[in-house]
Amino acid sequence: MRVVLAEDLYLLRTGLERLLAEHGFDVIESVDNGPALLRALVDKRPDVAVVDIRLPPTFTDEGLKAAMSARHEVPGLPVLLLSAHVEQLYARELLADQAGSVGYLLKDRVFNDDQFTDAVRAVASGGTVMDPEVVGKLLGRRARDEPVTRLSAREREVLALMAEGRSNSAIAQRLRISDKAVGKHCTSIFAKLDLAPSDDDNRRVLAVLAYLNT
Amino acid sequence: MVNAWTWGLIAGTAAASVLTFLLALVLRRNPRAAGLGALLVPVAGLWLWAFGITADKTDTVTRKSFSSMIAVGSGIVKVLGPSSGPNQPVVSPTSIASITAVIPRGHVVALFPAGVPLSIVTTTSSSPAAAFWQGMCILGVAALIAVVASRQAGYLAGAALLAFGLYQLVAAAVFTPAAGGTSWYDWLYGMSSRGTVCAVAVGSVVAGLVVIRYTIVSDMLRRMTLASRVQLLTQTRAEAVDAAAAELRRLERDLHDGAQARLVAIGLSLRALEKMIPANPAAAAALAVECREASALALADLRDLVRGIYPPVLAERGLGDAVRALALDSPVNVATEIDLPGRPPAPVEAAVYFAVAEALSNVAKHADARRAVVRVYHAGEMLRAEVTDDGAGGADPTRGTGLAGIERRLAAFDGILAVSSPVGGPTIVVIEVPCELSWPKISTC
Repeated sequence: MRVVLAEDLYLLRTGLERLLAEHGFDVIESVDNGPALLRALVDKRPDVAVVDIRLPPTFTDEGLKAAMSARHEVPGLPVLLLSAHVEQLYARELLADQAGSVGYLLKDRVFNDDQFTDAVRAVASGGTVMDPEVVGKLLGRRARDEPVTRLSAREREVLALMAEGRSNSAIAQRLRISDKAVGKHCTSIFAKLDLAPSDDDNRRVLAVLAYLNT
Repeated sequence: MVNAWTWGLIAGTAAASVLTFLLALVLRRNPRAAGLGALLVPVAGLWLWAFGITADKTDTVTRKSFSSMIAVGSGIVKVLGPSSGPNQPVVSPTSIASITAVIPRGHVVALFPAGVPLSIVTTTSSSPAAAFWQGMCILGVAALIAVVASRQAGYLAGAALLAFGLYQLVAAAVFTPAAGGTSWYDWLYGMSSRGTVCAVAVGSVVAGLVVIRYTIVSDMLRRMTLASRVQLLTQTRAEAVDAAAAELRRLERDLHDGAQARLVAIGLSLRALEKMIPANPAAAAALAVECREASALALADLRDLVRGIYPPVLAERGLGDAVRALALDSPVNVATEIDLPGRPPAPVEAAVYFAVAEALSNVAKHADARRAVVRVYHAGEMLRAEVTDDGAGGADPTRGTGLAGIERRLAAFDGILAVSSPVGGPTIVVIEVPCELSWPKISTC
């Protein structure tokens, strides 16, 4: 799997390169600034890009901007964004095009390399991965709303994991319940939130996020 | 009455007036100084005009005897000649028409037969052009003084008016007014009757006193505003310094107890890990996981700390998006209306951000509100933020330290925070800071 990596801190960049290589990714280009990232994304069209949001030259949200404009030119280009902080605002912007293939994680998540590389693969295969912290904020924001309060505690756990981009079997494994039970919870959640059920993981996540984001 | 001399003077006065005003505006001085300068010029012009109308005076006199025509003062005396009539002067008509000479005082000018009416003109200034330039010079100096230093000019003008008025009074008492005269004092007070002299004198004295009083009052007001401004700045500066010191102490404590302590623990664990690897790889792996988790916690600590110092979204996106992010994170349903064509200076942005954050957290904690609206806009050199909620109202801004701290922080930028919260709501918090916006550089790529 061909990966473009954008990270301005040398130690973190080489660390990520090594981590990705260990897990069988092919890092075709590592860049350390926004304009170079945009060029690499548009020219090389990688299977997935792992991008730090804050990059030179402005040290603002250069990485996010480059990723967004690359996705404008190459719709659905898979991008996983990393940041030292997560904002619902940025999550909304990433999800706005409804194209899937996006991820938004705290940098801390690279500590758990299996989870992290799972997320990279999920994004590469068209999935949507949101950091648990973002999902938590989105859920907290809707906590007062009537439909969300109708969910049981277990259903909320399933909803949170779903929004993080996990498949039914991954959710089942995590919660130590059967796949069938997860399926039942999902049906119930979709019914309570008035969402059309769907088999496609990504569409399912987007539906959940779209609901939480309104 | 209005002769060429007067017209020249009026033209010079008007030109100097306009020039003074424009000069003051161009130099961007106090507009009051410009006004005073422009006012001074016509006042001075009026005096000169008063001399002007008497300086070029035509008298028709009828002399009874041959020896009656005697010069009354030194000056240029022009005898225009006799009006038409049977009596002719003793000297020949051609020479009478052209007698123009400086004649010493008391000398006989000419001898005429009795009963001949004569037109006699005495002049102290030779031409309207000279009068114009003379006026321009005097008024130019007055205007310059007014423009360069308004306060001193005010005192100077007042003192000059007062002195002129007093001189006129003394002159009226001591000398006999003689408009056609050419003595130095005649020229100076130059009026034809005591009544006029006294009226002008009293007017001058009153005008002088008014100008001086006005200058003193405006000067004192300026000094007083300056003094209160100094007091305010001293106070807000002290508070800003205190706040900065307190903030640093808080940061030090947070770092010391949080991230720093965790890093020490990680270091110790890693040291233990090193020794453990050969002997007990399984336990070493478990300890490594522990280290990783501890480093994640340290990161979370640092993240919270950074958010409190300068929120990353504010650094990355500016005030508008930072307020939108605040609204999204609030448990209350918050709508935002943001109209900022440029970016305020970074310290102002941060102060307003934390003010809005405090207001929104109060809404969430105390107001029992269902929804809130945040408006942020820039109008008339003012950055304004308004936080309105539909809660219970009755908020007391003097209670609690949150808003007081925000107020102190805003005061450092001459900003204010106002709270209106009648019982039953709605609560409106208004934050206002004077500032200019800077426009982002337009990207060419």
